Amino acid sequence: MGRLSRLRPDQVGADIRTLFETFLRERGNIPNMFRTAAHRPEILATMLSHFRTVMGPGAVPVALKEMLAVRVSRINSCDY
Amino acid sequence: MAKQFGVNDAALDGLKDPGRHPFPPDQKAALLFADAMTEGPGHVPEPIYADLRRHFSEAQTVEIACVVGLFNYFNRFNNALHVEVTLTDPDVLLRRVEEAAVAGGPVVDFCDRVADILHQGRRYLRVGIYRRDKDGLVLRAWRGTAPPPESLRLGEGDAGAAAQTGATRASGPRLVVPVLAGSAVAGVVEVEGDRPAAIEDEDRSLVERVAALLVSRLT
Repeated sequence: MGRLSRLRPDQVGADIRTLFETFLRERGNIPNMFRTAAHRPEILATMLSHFRTVMGPGAVPVALKEMLAVRVSRINSCDY
Repeated sequence: MAKQFGVNDAALDGLKDPGRHPFPPDQKAALLFADAMTEGPGHVPEPIYADLRRHFSEAQTVEIACVVGLFNYFNRFNNALHVEVTLTDPDVLLRRVEEAAVAGGPVVDFCDRVADILHQGRRYLRVGIYRRDKDGLVLRAWRGTAPPPESLRLGEGDAGAAAQTGATRASGPRLVVPVLAGSAVAGVVEVEGDRPAAIEDEDRSLVERVAALLVSRLT
């Protein structure tokens, strides 16, 4: 069990609900981390924005960034 | 997610120990930098930084350091607060199986795709799909760390028992659902979670609905 509760789309404000619905449409789930962070909507909004900017197309191939994410998560014993 | 962006299985396996895997030099430099930045306080030794800069510009170095930093942030948030791994909604997975069924193609490929959808979507440790033949069960597809037995006699293990009785078996982290063609058993689907309580009602419902979609391809 997570230490904090995870908010559902019906428990968050309209802005965050839109973000959640995009996740559901694009990948079939809302990551539990973001459902947890939704207790602080302003932080979640910039967290998601930063995540997309860092991991999206940029100066380094997206595939390499995914490999780095997998490697770091592996070292940290965190499933990604 | 990494696979969707073109990272193949060999590379994913190589990520267990990047120093030993034949990654291209630029990828290896970035991965060894990620290791050094992640371990301890992240004081990256000069030779590792120098090797990174042989392959990447300043802008690229910023981006790589941000990826490594971001995932250290996310990993620590999740580890500290015990945030559980996100599972994909069963309805979404079922739709993917239905799409694979409509796409046609060889039965083995379809079974392979189904095993993959269940394994990835629900993070099962093991998935096995068996077809019934005259002597027992024959493995058609699997996912997980170690292959299940290639064949099982009727009554042998949970899968063999489910094939014999035609009834779903749930024991601890393992769930076995028979693929039923009328009253006859055409095969079984076996999944295993990572802990005794891993199998929930929605897993049972999902695997039973997947088994129903497998019937026409296993008979």
